Amino acid sequence: TVKHRRTRRDWTKDIYSSDLTPEQILSSSSKPQQDGNEALDDDFFTVKQSSKIYANTDSDLLEFADRSKDPSAFSSAELSKWEDEEMLESIRGLFITGAFVDGELADE
Amino acid sequence: MAGPVVQYSGHKYLRHRLVLSILSGKAIKIDGIRSDDKNPGLRDFEVSLLRLLEKVTNGTVIEISVTGTAILLKPGIISGGPLVHDCPLSRSIGYFLEPIIMLAPFSKRPVQLTLRGITTDDHDLSADLIRTVTLPHLQLFGISDGLELRVHKETWSTSRGGGEIQFLCPIVKQVKTLNFVEPGKIKRIRGIAHAVRVNPQFSNRMIEASRSILNRYIPDIYLYSDVYKGEESGKSPGYALTILAESTTSVLFCSEAISKPGVAPEDIALQATRSLLSEISKGGCVDQKHQSLILLMMVLGSEDVGRCRMSQPTPGTIQFLRDIRDFFGTSFKIVPADPTEPNATDLLYSCYGTGHVNANRDLA
Repeated sequence: TVKHRRTRRDWTKDIYSSDLTPEQILSSSSKPQQDGNEALDDDFFTVKQSSKIYANTDSDLLEFADRSKDPSAFSSAELSKWEDEEMLESIRGLFITGAFVDGELADE
Repeated sequence: MAGPVVQYSGHKYLRHRLVLSILSGKAIKIDGIRSDDKNPGLRDFEVSLLRLLEKVTNGTVIEISVTGTAILLKPGIISGGPLVHDCPLSRSIGYFLEPIIMLAPFSKRPVQLTLRGITTDDHDLSADLIRTVTLPHLQLFGISDGLELRVHKETWSTSRGGGEIQFLCPIVKQVKTLNFVEPGKIKRIRGIAHAVRVNPQFSNRMIEASRSILNRYIPDIYLYSDVYKGEESGKSPGYALTILAESTTSVLFCSEAISKPGVAPEDIALQATRSLLSEISKGGCVDQKHQSLILLMMVLGSEDVGRCRMSQPTPGTIQFLRDIRDFFGTSFKIVPADPTEPNATDLLYSCYGTGHVNANRDLA
Protein backbone atom coordinates (compact mmCIF):
# COMPACT_ATOMS: atom_id res chain seq x y z
CA THR A 1 0.00 0.00 0.00
CA VAL A 2 2.92 2.30 0.65
CA LYS A 3 3.96 1.88 -2.93
CA HIS A 4 0.46 2.66 -4.13
CA ARG A 5 0.34 5.87 -2.15
CA ARG A 6 3.60 6.91 -3.69
CA THR A 7 2.13 6.76 -7.16
CA ARG A 8 1.91 10.48 -7.73
CA ARG A 9 -0.18 12.13 -10.33
CA ASP A 10 1.55 13.76 -13.26
CA TRP A 11 0.30 17.35 -13.04
CA THR A 12 2.18 18.50 -16.13
CA LYS A 13 0.53 15.78 -18.20
CA ASP A 14 -2.96 16.29 -16.75
CA ILE A 15 -2.84 20.04 -17.34
CA TYR A 16 -1.26 20.13 -20.78
CA SER A 17 -2.16 16.83 -22.46
CA SER A 18 -5.66 15.99 -21.29
CA ASP A 19 -9.07 17.35 -22.25
CA LEU A 20 -10.30 17.29 -18.67
CA THR A 21 -11.72 20.55 -17.34
CA PRO A 22 -9.78 22.12 -14.45
CA GLU A 23 -12.54 21.05 -12.08
CA GLN A 24 -12.32 17.45 -13.30
CA ILE A 25 -8.56 17.40 -12.86
CA LEU A 26 -8.89 18.58 -9.28
CA SER A 27 -11.76 16.28 -8.37
CA SER A 28 -9.80 13.29 -9.65
CA SER A 29 -6.82 14.19 -7.46
CA SER A 30 -8.59 12.92 -4.35
CA LYS A 31 -9.68 9.68 -6.00
CA PRO A 32 -7.53 6.64 -6.80
CA GLN A 33 -5.32 6.84 -9.87
CA GLN A 34 -7.63 4.50 -11.82
CA ASP A 35 -10.43 7.03 -12.12
CA GLY A 36 -8.18 9.58 -13.70
CA ASN A 37 -7.01 7.10 -16.31
CA GLU A 38 -10.53 6.07 -17.19
CA ALA A 39 -11.53 9.63 -17.83
CA LEU A 40 -8.43 10.13 -19.94
CA ASP A 41 -9.24 7.17 -22.13
CA ASP A 42 -12.71 8.47 -22.72
CA ASP A 43 -12.04 11.92 -24.09
CA PHE A 44 -15.13 11.99 -26.24
CA PHE A 45 -17.56 11.63 -23.36
CA THR A 46 -15.58 13.87 -21.07
CA VAL A 47 -16.20 16.88 -23.22
CA LYS A 48 -19.94 16.31 -23.36
CA GLN A 49 -20.11 15.84 -19.64
CA SER A 50 -18.34 19.08 -18.95
CA SER A 51 -20.78 21.18 -20.93
CA LYS A 52 -23.58 19.60 -18.94
CA ILE A 53 -21.86 20.48 -15.69
CA TYR A 54 -21.63 24.12 -16.71
CA ALA A 55 -25.32 24.30 -17.59
CA ASN A 56 -26.27 23.01 -14.16
CA THR A 57 -24.06 25.30 -12.12
CA ASP A 58 -26.11 27.75 -10.12
CA SER A 59 -26.57 31.23 -11.47
CA ASP A 60 -24.54 33.09 -8.87
CA LEU A 61 -21.47 31.04 -9.71
CA LEU A 62 -22.04 31.59 -13.41
CA GLU A 63 -22.51 35.30 -12.95
CA PHE A 64 -19.33 35.73 -10.92
CA ALA A 65 -17.30 32.90 -12.47
CA ASP A 66 -14.28 35.16 -12.90
CA ARG A 67 -13.28 35.88 -9.30
CA SER A 68 -10.11 35.68 -7.24
CA LYS A 69 -11.66 34.66 -3.91
CA ASP A 70 -12.52 31.00 -4.25
CA PRO A 71 -15.90 30.45 -2.55
CA SER A 72 -14.91 26.89 -1.64
CA ALA A 73 -12.33 28.35 0.77
CA PHE A 74 -15.30 29.38 2.93
CA SER A 75 -17.25 26.15 2.60
CA SER A 76 -18.42 24.77 5.91
CA ALA A 77 -16.43 21.59 5.31
CA GLU A 78 -13.19 23.53 4.82
CA LEU A 79 -13.77 25.78 7.85
CA SER A 80 -15.24 23.27 10.30
CA LYS A 81 -12.18 21.05 10.21
CA TRP A 82 -10.41 23.78 12.19
CA GLU A 83 -12.82 23.26 15.09
CA ASP A 84 -10.89 20.10 15.80
CA GLU A 85 -8.10 20.37 18.36
CA GLU A 86 -5.90 17.76 16.65
CA MET A 87 -6.22 19.56 13.35
CA LEU A 88 -5.15 22.83 14.97
CA GLU A 89 -2.12 21.12 16.50
CA SER A 90 -1.19 19.41 13.23
CA ILE A 91 0.09 22.63 11.64
CA ARG A 92 2.10 23.81 14.64
CA GLY A 93 5.32 22.77 12.87
CA LEU A 94 4.70 25.43 10.23
CA PHE A 95 5.22 28.22 12.80
CA ILE A 96 8.62 29.30 14.18
CA THR A 97 7.63 28.33 17.70
CA GLY A 98 6.72 24.86 16.45
CA ALA A 99 10.31 23.82 15.76
CA PHE A 100 11.24 23.13 19.35
CA VAL A 101 7.77 22.64 20.82
CA ASP A 102 7.20 19.75 18.42
CA GLY A 103 9.02 17.09 20.44
CA GLU A 104 7.39 18.03 23.74
CA LEU A 105 3.92 17.92 22.25
CA ALA A 106 4.42 14.54 20.69
CA ASP A 107 4.89 13.10 24.18
CA GLU A 108 1.67 14.54 25.54
CA MET B 1 -2.63 44.28 -38.22
CA ALA B 2 -3.33 40.78 -39.41
CA GLY B 3 -1.76 38.58 -36.76
CA PRO B 4 -2.88 35.40 -35.08
CA VAL B 5 -6.22 35.40 -33.23
CA VAL B 6 -6.58 33.27 -30.13
CA GLN B 7 -10.13 31.99 -29.72
CA TYR B 8 -12.13 31.00 -26.65
CA SER B 9 -15.71 30.32 -25.77
CA GLY B 10 -17.58 31.37 -22.63
CA HIS B 11 -17.30 34.15 -20.07
CA LYS B 12 -15.11 32.31 -17.59
CA TYR B 13 -11.52 33.47 -17.08
CA LEU B 14 -12.23 36.66 -19.05
CA ARG B 15 -9.82 38.90 -17.18
CA HIS B 16 -6.68 36.82 -17.42
CA ARG B 17 -7.33 36.09 -21.09
CA LEU B 18 -7.60 39.80 -21.90
CA VAL B 19 -4.37 40.41 -19.97
CA LEU B 20 -2.55 37.66 -21.88
CA SER B 21 -3.78 39.10 -25.16
CA ILE B 22 -2.52 42.59 -24.37
CA LEU B 23 0.85 41.43 -23.04
CA SER B 24 1.49 39.05 -25.93
CA GLY B 25 0.16 41.42 -28.59
CA LYS B 26 -2.05 38.66 -29.99
CA ALA B 27 -5.67 39.44 -30.79
CA ILE B 28 -8.34 37.52 -28.87
CA LYS B 29 -11.84 36.48 -29.86
CA ILE B 30 -14.30 35.18 -27.29
CA ASP B 31 -17.75 33.95 -28.24
CA GLY B 32 -20.52 32.10 -26.45
CA ILE B 33 -20.57 34.65 -23.61
CA ARG B 34 -23.56 33.45 -21.55
CA SER B 35 -25.25 32.65 -24.86
CA ASP B 36 -27.50 30.03 -23.21
CA ASP B 37 -28.47 32.36 -20.38
CA LYS B 38 -31.89 33.97 -20.03
CA ASN B 39 -30.00 37.25 -19.96
CA PRO B 40 -27.24 36.63 -22.50
CA GLY B 41 -24.04 38.54 -23.09
CA LEU B 42 -21.56 40.68 -21.18
CA ARG B 43 -22.40 42.11 -17.78
CA ASP B 44 -21.95 45.78 -16.88
CA PHE B 45 -18.73 45.06 -14.98
CA GLU B 46 -17.23 43.22 -17.94
CA VAL B 47 -18.04 46.07 -20.31
CA SER B 48 -16.57 48.47 -17.76
CA LEU B 49 -13.38 46.37 -17.62
CA LEU B 50 -13.08 46.55 -21.41
CA ARG B 51 -13.45 50.34 -21.22
CA LEU B 52 -10.75 50.48 -18.55
CA LEU B 53 -8.39 48.38 -20.69
CA GLU B 54 -9.08 50.80 -23.54
CA LYS B 55 -8.03 53.70 -21.29
CA VAL B 56 -4.83 52.02 -20.09
CA THR B 57 -3.76 51.20 -23.63
CA ASN B 58 -3.39 53.13 -26.84
CA GLY B 59 -4.64 51.81 -30.15
CA THR B 60 -6.63 48.90 -28.76
CA VAL B 61 -9.62 47.97 -30.90
CA ILE B 62 -12.55 46.30 -29.17
CA GLU B 63 -15.57 45.01 -31.05
CA ILE B 64 -18.63 43.74 -29.20
CA SER B 65 -21.34 41.85 -31.06
CA VAL B 66 -24.88 43.25 -31.06
CA THR B 67 -26.07 40.62 -28.58
CA GLY B 68 -22.97 41.08 -26.40
CA THR B 69 -22.19 37.37 -26.58
CA ALA B 70 -18.97 37.80 -28.59
CA ILE B 71 -16.01 40.15 -28.36
CA LEU B 72 -12.91 40.73 -30.41
CA LEU B 73 -9.95 42.60 -28.93
CA LYS B 74 -6.94 43.70 -30.97
CA PRO B 75 -4.41 44.93 -28.44
CA GLY B 76 -2.58 48.23 -28.73
CA ILE B 77 0.32 49.29 -26.55
CA ILE B 78 0.07 49.76 -22.79
CA SER B 79 0.31 53.53 -22.40
CA GLY B 80 -0.43 54.13 -18.69
CA GLY B 81 -0.21 57.65 -17.26
CA PRO B 82 -2.77 59.38 -15.03
CA LEU B 83 -6.20 57.75 -15.36
CA VAL B 84 -9.55 57.81 -13.58
CA HIS B 85 -12.19 55.11 -13.80
CA ASP B 86 -15.58 54.75 -12.13
CA CYS B 87 -16.31 51.08 -11.42
CA PRO B 88 -19.89 49.80 -11.46
CA LEU B 89 -21.19 48.70 -8.06
CA SER B 90 -21.75 45.11 -9.20
CA ARG B 91 -18.07 44.27 -8.52
CA SER B 92 -15.46 45.64 -6.16
CA ILE B 93 -12.42 47.66 -7.19
CA GLY B 94 -10.31 44.50 -6.88
CA TYR B 95 -11.97 42.99 -9.96
CA PHE B 96 -10.67 45.89 -12.05
CA LEU B 97 -7.36 46.38 -10.29
CA GLU B 98 -6.10 42.78 -10.46
CA PRO B 99 -5.70 42.74 -14.27
CA ILE B 100 -4.26 46.27 -14.24
CA ILE B 101 -1.56 45.15 -11.79
CA MET B 102 -0.52 42.49 -14.32
CA LEU B 103 -0.21 45.06 -17.11
CA ALA B 104 1.08 48.19 -15.37
CA PRO B 105 4.80 47.29 -15.03
CA PHE B 106 5.01 46.99 -18.85
CA SER B 107 3.50 50.37 -19.57
CA LYS B 108 4.95 53.25 -21.60
CA ARG B 109 4.52 55.70 -18.71
CA PRO B 110 3.98 54.84 -15.01
CA VAL B 111 0.34 54.03 -14.26
CA GLN B 112 -1.37 56.41 -11.84
CA LEU B 113 -4.87 55.01 -11.70
CA THR B 114 -7.70 56.30 -9.56
CA LEU B 115 -10.56 53.83 -9.17
CA ARG B 116 -13.88 54.71 -7.57
CA GLY B 117 -16.39 52.11 -6.39
CA ILE B 118 -16.56 49.42 -3.72
CA THR B 119 -13.29 48.57 -1.96
CA THR B 120 -14.33 45.22 -0.49
CA ASP B 121 -16.67 42.42 -1.53
CA ASP B 122 -17.01 38.64 -1.46
CA HIS B 123 -15.68 37.98 -4.94
CA ASP B 124 -12.29 39.63 -5.34
CA LEU B 125 -9.34 40.78 -3.26
CA SER B 126 -10.06 43.88 -1.24
CA ALA B 127 -8.07 47.07 -1.71
CA ASP B 128 -6.45 46.32 1.65
CA LEU B 129 -5.24 42.85 0.67
CA ILE B 130 -3.95 44.12 -2.64
CA ARG B 131 -1.96 46.75 -0.77
CA THR B 132 -0.54 44.47 1.92
CA VAL B 133 -0.18 41.15 0.08
CA THR B 134 -0.45 41.46 -3.72
CA LEU B 135 1.96 44.37 -4.16
CA PRO B 136 4.76 42.74 -2.11
CA HIS B 137 4.54 39.82 -4.56
CA LEU B 138 5.52 42.19 -7.37
CA GLN B 139 8.65 43.11 -5.42
CA LEU B 140 9.87 39.53 -5.90
CA PHE B 141 10.23 40.41 -9.57
CA GLY B 142 12.06 43.70 -9.06
CA ILE B 143 8.99 45.92 -9.30
CA SER B 144 9.22 48.06 -6.17
CA ASP B 145 10.33 51.70 -6.24
CA GLY B 146 7.24 53.87 -6.40
CA LEU B 147 4.84 50.93 -6.13
CA GLU B 148 1.95 52.08 -3.96
CA LEU B 149 -1.75 51.67 -3.31
CA ARG B 150 -3.47 54.49 -1.48
CA VAL B 151 -6.88 53.74 -0.05
CA HIS B 152 -8.62 57.09 0.24
CA LYS B 153 -12.07 55.90 1.22
CA GLU B 154 -13.32 52.44 2.13
CA THR B 155 -16.72 51.11 1.32
CA TRP B 156 -18.55 47.82 1.10
CA SER B 157 -20.59 45.58 -1.11
CA THR B 158 -24.40 46.01 -1.22
CA SER B 159 -23.63 49.68 -0.96
CA ARG B 160 -23.95 52.86 -2.89
CA GLY B 161 -20.26 53.00 -3.63
CA GLY B 162 -18.16 55.93 -2.50
CA GLY B 163 -14.82 54.14 -2.08
CA GLU B 164 -11.72 55.46 -3.75
CA ILE B 165 -8.19 54.17 -4.24
CA GLN B 166 -5.14 55.26 -6.19
CA PHE B 167 -2.69 52.77 -7.67
CA LEU B 168 0.82 53.90 -8.57
CA CYS B 169 3.12 51.52 -10.41
CA PRO B 170 6.64 52.01 -11.73
CA ILE B 171 7.61 50.68 -15.15
CA VAL B 172 10.32 48.09 -15.69
CA LYS B 173 12.40 47.06 -18.66
CA GLN B 174 12.26 43.40 -17.70
CA VAL B 175 11.16 41.41 -14.66
CA LYS B 176 13.63 39.35 -12.64
CA THR B 177 13.74 35.57 -12.73
CA LEU B 178 12.06 34.14 -9.66
CA ASN B 179 13.60 31.51 -7.42
CA PHE B 180 11.26 31.17 -4.44
CA VAL B 181 11.42 27.67 -2.98
CA GLU B 182 11.94 28.05 0.77
CA PRO B 183 8.60 28.40 2.59
CA GLY B 184 10.25 29.09 5.97
CA LYS B 185 8.16 29.20 9.14
CA ILE B 186 5.35 31.59 10.01
CA LYS B 187 6.81 34.24 12.32
CA ARG B 188 4.17 36.93 12.54
CA ILE B 189 0.49 37.54 11.95
CA ARG B 190 -1.03 40.92 11.24
CA GLY B 191 -4.61 41.87 10.76
CA ILE B 192 -7.00 44.74 10.47
CA ALA B 193 -10.50 44.61 11.88
CA HIS B 194 -12.55 47.13 9.97
CA ALA B 195 -15.70 48.68 11.26
CA VAL B 196 -17.34 51.15 8.94
CA ARG B 197 -20.40 52.99 10.23
CA VAL B 198 -21.20 50.30 12.80
CA ASN B 199 -20.68 50.00 16.57
CA PRO B 200 -16.89 50.47 17.02
CA GLN B 201 -16.95 47.58 19.54
CA PHE B 202 -17.48 45.20 16.60
CA SER B 203 -13.84 45.44 15.64
CA ASN B 204 -12.71 44.48 19.16
CA ARG B 205 -15.09 41.52 19.16
CA MET B 206 -13.59 40.29 15.86
CA ILE B 207 -10.04 40.67 17.20
CA GLU B 208 -10.85 38.71 20.34
CA ALA B 209 -12.45 35.84 18.41
CA SER B 210 -9.52 35.60 16.00
CA ARG B 211 -6.99 35.61 18.84
CA SER B 212 -8.84 32.76 20.52
CA ILE B 213 -7.51 30.55 17.70
CA LEU B 214 -4.22 32.20 16.77
CA ASN B 215 -2.69 32.86 20.21
CA ARG B 216 -1.64 29.22 20.50
CA TYR B 217 0.82 29.44 17.63
CA ILE B 218 3.07 32.47 17.96
CA PRO B 219 3.33 35.52 20.22
CA ASP B 220 3.92 38.03 17.42
CA ILE B 221 0.31 38.81 16.56
CA TYR B 222 -1.03 42.31 16.06
CA LEU B 223 -4.61 42.81 15.01
CA TYR B 224 -5.43 46.46 14.58
CA SER B 225 -8.79 48.03 14.95
CA ASP B 226 -9.67 50.37 12.13
CA VAL B 227 -12.81 52.35 12.69
CA TYR B 228 -13.88 54.63 9.88
CA LYS B 229 -16.15 57.55 10.60
CA GLY B 230 -17.65 60.51 8.80
CA GLU B 231 -16.45 61.55 5.37
CA GLU B 232 -13.65 58.95 5.00
CA SER B 233 -16.04 56.05 5.65
CA GLY B 234 -17.70 56.02 2.26
CA LYS B 235 -21.45 55.64 2.30
CA SER B 236 -22.41 52.28 3.69
CA PRO B 237 -22.03 50.23 6.90
CA GLY B 238 -20.21 46.95 7.34
CA TYR B 239 -17.35 45.16 9.05
CA ALA B 240 -14.59 42.81 7.99
CA LEU B 241 -11.47 41.06 9.19
CA THR B 242 -8.38 40.94 6.99
CA ILE B 243 -5.46 38.83 8.23
CA LEU B 244 -2.07 37.92 6.85
CA ALA B 245 0.66 35.61 8.04
CA GLU B 246 4.31 36.18 7.15
CA SER B 247 7.06 33.58 7.22
CA THR B 248 10.77 33.87 7.95
CA THR B 249 11.38 33.87 4.17
CA SER B 250 8.72 36.58 3.52
CA VAL B 251 6.05 34.18 2.31
CA LEU B 252 2.63 35.84 2.70
CA PHE B 253 -0.64 34.01 3.27
CA CYS B 254 -3.83 36.00 3.55
CA SER B 255 -7.52 35.72 4.12
CA GLU B 256 -10.48 37.95 4.60
CA ALA B 257 -14.13 37.69 5.58
CA ILE B 258 -16.71 40.43 5.38
CA SER B 259 -19.99 41.03 7.17
CA LYS B 260 -23.17 39.41 5.96
CA PRO B 261 -26.68 40.13 7.23
CA GLY B 262 -27.40 38.21 10.42
CA VAL B 263 -23.82 36.96 10.98
CA ALA B 264 -22.14 38.09 14.21
CA PRO B 265 -18.71 39.78 14.15
CA GLU B 266 -17.26 36.78 16.04
CA ASP B 267 -18.35 34.38 13.28
CA ILE B 268 -16.92 36.58 10.55
CA ALA B 269 -13.63 36.62 12.47
CA LEU B 270 -13.63 32.82 12.83
CA GLN B 271 -14.26 32.40 9.11
CA ALA B 272 -11.32 34.65 8.22
CA THR B 273 -9.04 33.00 10.77
CA ARG B 274 -9.86 29.41 9.82
CA SER B 275 -9.52 30.18 6.15
CA LEU B 276 -6.06 31.62 6.90
CA LEU B 277 -5.11 28.33 8.59
CA SER B 278 -6.31 26.47 5.48
CA GLU B 279 -3.99 28.57 3.31
CA ILE B 280 -1.05 28.03 5.67
CA SER B 281 -1.67 24.27 5.79
CA LYS B 282 -1.52 23.99 1.99
CA GLY B 283 2.12 25.00 2.13
CA GLY B 284 4.37 26.51 -0.51
CA CYS B 285 5.66 30.06 -0.91
CA VAL B 286 2.60 31.71 -2.50
CA ASP B 287 -1.04 31.42 -1.48
CA GLN B 288 -3.72 30.24 -3.89
CA LYS B 289 -5.07 33.74 -4.47
CA HIS B 290 -1.76 34.82 -6.02
CA GLN B 291 -0.78 31.79 -8.08
CA SER B 292 -1.75 33.34 -11.41
CA LEU B 293 0.10 36.61 -10.81
CA ILE B 294 3.28 34.72 -9.92
CA LEU B 295 3.03 32.34 -12.88
CA LEU B 296 2.49 35.23 -15.29
CA MET B 297 5.53 37.14 -14.04
CA MET B 298 7.59 33.93 -14.24
CA VAL B 299 6.67 33.51 -17.91
CA LEU B 300 7.62 37.13 -18.60
CA GLY B 301 10.93 36.77 -16.74
CA SER B 302 14.36 36.87 -18.34
CA GLU B 303 15.55 33.88 -20.38
CA ASP B 304 16.41 31.67 -17.47
CA VAL B 305 14.63 29.01 -15.43
CA GLY B 306 12.27 30.51 -12.84
CA ARG B 307 11.12 28.34 -9.96
CA CYS B 308 8.42 28.69 -7.32
CA ARG B 309 7.06 26.32 -4.70
CA MET B 310 3.30 26.63 -4.40
CA SER B 311 0.24 24.71 -3.26
CA GLN B 312 -1.84 22.66 -5.70
CA PRO B 313 -3.34 24.73 -8.51
CA THR B 314 -6.87 26.09 -8.28
CA PRO B 315 -9.23 25.53 -11.26
CA GLY B 316 -8.45 29.09 -12.37
CA THR B 317 -4.72 28.41 -12.16
CA ILE B 318 -5.02 25.27 -14.29
CA GLN B 319 -6.87 27.20 -16.98
CA PHE B 320 -4.37 30.04 -16.71
CA LEU B 321 -1.49 27.60 -17.32
CA ARG B 322 -3.24 26.32 -20.42
CA ASP B 323 -4.01 29.83 -21.67
CA ILE B 324 -0.41 30.96 -21.09
CA ARG B 325 0.67 28.23 -23.47
CA ASP B 326 -1.84 29.48 -26.08
CA PHE B 327 -0.41 33.01 -25.99
CA PHE B 328 3.27 32.54 -25.17
CA GLY B 329 3.94 28.90 -26.08
CA THR B 330 5.43 28.35 -22.62
CA SER B 331 4.57 25.30 -20.51
CA PHE B 332 5.49 24.85 -16.89
CA LYS B 333 7.04 21.78 -15.37
CA ILE B 334 5.08 20.84 -12.26
CA VAL B 335 6.50 18.24 -9.90
CA PRO B 336 6.19 17.39 -6.18
CA ALA B 337 8.20 19.94 -4.20
CA ASP B 338 9.54 17.38 -1.78
CA PRO B 339 9.64 13.86 -3.26
CA THR B 340 11.00 12.44 0.01
CA GLU B 341 7.90 13.50 1.95
CA PRO B 342 4.94 11.38 0.75
CA ASN B 343 2.31 13.44 2.60
CA ALA B 344 3.38 16.82 1.26
CA THR B 345 1.03 18.15 -1.39
CA ASP B 346 2.84 21.30 -2.47
CA LEU B 347 4.47 21.46 -5.87
CA LEU B 348 7.44 22.98 -7.62
CA TYR B 349 6.47 25.06 -10.67
CA SER B 350 9.24 25.94 -13.07
CA CYS B 351 9.46 27.45 -16.52
CA TYR B 352 11.89 29.06 -18.91
CA GLY B 353 11.20 32.80 -19.05
CA THR B 354 10.29 34.34 -22.40
CA GLY B 355 12.63 37.29 -21.87
CA HIS B 356 9.76 39.73 -22.32
CA VAL B 357 11.13 43.24 -22.77
CA ASN B 358 8.96 46.27 -22.17
CA ALA B 359 9.17 47.84 -25.60
CA ASN B 360 6.56 50.47 -24.71
CA ARG B 361 8.79 52.11 -22.14
CA ASP B 362 9.59 55.78 -22.51
CA LEU B 363 13.34 56.11 -22.58
CA ALA B 364 13.22 59.78 -21.69
